[in-house]
Amino acid sequence: MSLWKRIYRNETQIDFISNRNKGFLISGILVAIALGALGIRHLNLGVDFSGGTVVETENRSGADTGEIRDALRPLGLDAATIQLTGQGGTGIRVQTQPLDPEQEQTLVEAVAEVAGVPTQEANVSSVGATFGREVARRAFRALIAFLVAVTAFIAVRFDWRMALVALVALLHDLIISAGVYAVTGFEVTPATVIAILTILGYSLYDTVVVYDKLDENQKTLGRRKSYAEVVNVSMNQVLVRSINTSLTTLLPIASLLFVGSFLLGATTLREFALALFVGVAAGTYSSIVIAAPLLSLWKQEREAPAQVPASPPRAAASGPRKGGPRSNSGSRAPGGRRR
Amino acid sequence: MRRTLIQLFLVFAISWGGAAWVAAEERWPKLGLDLAGGTDVLLRAPDGTDPALVDSAVEIMRRRIEAIGGVQEPTIQVVGGNSVSVQLPGVTDRERALEAVGKTGRLSFRPVLDVVFIPPEGSEPTTTIAATTTTAAGTSTTTGVTTTSLPAVSTTAGPTTIAPSTTIPPTTTVPGTTTTAPATTTAPTTTTPIPTTVPPEPTDPDLDDPTQEAILTGSVLAEGFYYRLGPAEVEGRDISEAEPAVNPSNLTWDVSLIFKSDAADRFQELTKRLATYPTDSLQRTLAIVLDGEIVSAPGIAADVSPVEGIAGGRASITTRGTKDQASALASLLRYGALPVLFEQDQVTSVSASLGSDALRAGIFAGIGGLALVAVALILYYRVLGLVAVLGLSVFSTILLSIYSWLGNSEGLSLTLAGVAGLIVAIGITSDSYVVYFERIKEEARRGRGLRGSVEEGFRRAFRTILTADAVSLLAAGLLWALAVGPVRGFALALGIATMVDIVVAYLYTRPATALLARTRLGEGGRFSIRGAAGVSAPGKARIA
Repeated sequence: MSLWKRIYRNETQIDFISNRNKGFLISGILVAIALGALGIRHLNLGVDFSGGTVVETENRSGADTGEIRDALRPLGLDAATIQLTGQGGTGIRVQTQPLDPEQEQTLVEAVAEVAGVPTQEANVSSVGATFGREVARRAFRALIAFLVAVTAFIAVRFDWRMALVALVALLHDLIISAGVYAVTGFEVTPATVIAILTILGYSLYDTVVVYDKLDENQKTLGRRKSYAEVVNVSMNQVLVRSINTSLTTLLPIASLLFVGSFLLGATTLREFALALFVGVAAGTYSSIVIAAPLLSLWKQEREAPAQVPASPPRAAASGPRKGGPRSNSGSRAPGGRRR
Repeated sequence: MRRTLIQLFLVFAISWGGAAWVAAEERWPKLGLDLAGGTDVLLRAPDGTDPALVDSAVEIMRRRIEAIGGVQEPTIQVVGGNSVSVQLPGVTDRERALEAVGKTGRLSFRPVLDVVFIPPEGSEPTTTIAATTTTAAGTSTTTGVTTTSLPAVSTTAGPTTIAPSTTIPPTTTVPGTTTTAPATTTAPTTTTPIPTTVPPEPTDPDLDDPTQEAILTGSVLAEGFYYRLGPAEVEGRDISEAEPAVNPSNLTWDVSLIFKSDAADRFQELTKRLATYPTDSLQRTLAIVLDGEIVSAPGIAADVSPVEGIAGGRASITTRGTKDQASALASLLRYGALPVLFEQDQVTSVSASLGSDALRAGIFAGIGGLALVAVALILYYRVLGLVAVLGLSVFSTILLSIYSWLGNSEGLSLTLAGVAGLIVAIGITSDSYVVYFERIKEEARRGRGLRGSVEEGFRRAFRTILTADAVSLLAAGLLWALAVGPVRGFALALGIATMVDIVVAYLYTRPATALLARTRLGEGGRFSIRGAAGVSAPGKARIA
């Protein structure tokens, strides 16, 4: 039977646990690259975080950066960052330090003139430096609150070890997504923050679906099989779900990516979609390759002395519906004693 | 069976009907500025600013923006306690917009020196002031009623008067006496000192300096009429309280004013001086000016003596209006002055063309994404895929209705970030179908009957969906509560869509699939549920 057919019928027998080191290795390399990129190239923080003024217009006159710089020299703004955007320089983007309203108006007029467009058609965005920091600070605070809340949720709904492992998988996804920004040098904008938050939500969502299956199988199969085996069975069962879900999530994002980059040149959309695409793919990957094997590794270590089928901790875990949290205390105790 | 059918019918009627209604009434969701074009300003008051102060600043901004004109539907709202978000769709005159919202209101009390008639452009020039005032007074005399057709004079000395606080009955103004005053005499002509032949230039309200004389007008004066005003002697910051209050003598609404102690004497001096003029004199009028516009011009009540003036820092302005009018004036007095120095945190202006590009991209991406998902689901899950595709239509039409409703009633607008959130939500809702359908397949492979698989599958899948959606909702809720700006739009879209997902799964997907399992599409052929599950019915040969 072909692999496709086996996947279609959920009859795959991939041994995720034995192959976990390969997965860890791949992830390790990716994370290392991402961290390296973040360390060397840093993130290109957009005007929304650093404060400043950005003027964007259509480049109707076909001006090049030199001409634009010349036009800005009388205003003393020739140190501004000037970029031609779009395919073949069809757009102009000028970024400066924060300006006062009058300076800003003269800047907009100068740029519009050199670009050959009416002033009203220029897009202007200015952000106070303090506000930029505020946005970043609040986003960070939201992130921490979110992580704490979700960890608590998973700990209550499943168990605390699953929560910690989910966090590890999440960090993995975040680092890789941030790495993409560092490698490509894309500007980090509020849209990026949204993309990152989405990835975060998605990564956890995916991990939760995997855990749900694991939890259920642990209850039904836990008496007969080792945790690693339960993980393996569960992984094979949710594989199709994971693939299909990723597909159905990635399709709209891919459509956003495609429309954003090829049809309309909406750069914000494109960058947003790219981050999402990488993040969602990493999220699905990490649930299967990082979260589940890591969990089995951790749990197995604790139940190592009892390789007999009906070991006490697993019997506890397969107990009543609310058995999750209780099973930890059961399985943690022997582990604690062992160390 | 019949109940299931009715339930499905209702779901379709509500979702599709809602969308059809939105389309028919053209009540499309309101678009954010990044999609529709316009100027977006985010202002922040210093930390610890009284929230009521911020609210009134918003009121003042609204008035000023209305004064600019041509703004379709400005949205001005307080966000996160001390920030104000101002959205001006279609406004590309950035400078003007910023001026309207950024400048602090400056309120002053100034003595009226004189009335000036400057004919509106295009009409006959130079009518002398004396003539005008005489006519005005004359009209009042003939009609014998104060509320005459010439508001220039009647509003001045007419309905609004300023008097010592109304809390003590004896000193209250008797509106009748004061209002009839201008009608009985032609005194203004005699007391008006300068019938200049050259019409004076009105002061540009934007350039008004309260410490200088100025010629200003306002909506309380008739068109073409201006007051020449002396320098401000009391300013808005001298007011400590201004409240609407009922006038006990005639049960209309007044505004009671309390000045700060250090200003009470100045106010008394000012009123003493004004009270030296005869009760019918125009110079007995105190103009209240906000940002170069005369917002009110009460006369000093007849019983205020030139010896005492209005003492004690307490005064009352009779408005003879409704409570709303009195409240409006009171809040103007209270806050029009108190300068809230906002910092401009973020100013974005998007041209209409870029906005519509982004909108088109969003719509294309959304429709394209939905179509791709639909194809993938049908290819993989066959007839179940059809259930999912219909479900996606229910999902998206409900979202359309919700956004239309929120946009039209709550002023919520759909931004680019919101669109992104919705596109992500397509992924989440498709996942609910995937989880469910995989469950059905699993149950069917275990040898359970089709109907049993569908029911048991839903029971288990719904638990998974709830758990996973809870994480999404948690994310959305926290982001909504803690983040600022575009992130909130995203969080809201994600939260709404996730809730819709749960509702659709329960009210639509379950009955639709159950119904399908009873039809021919349940068992027969490769396109059926059984076919999608990839296993034959128990006891039969395998199909695939």
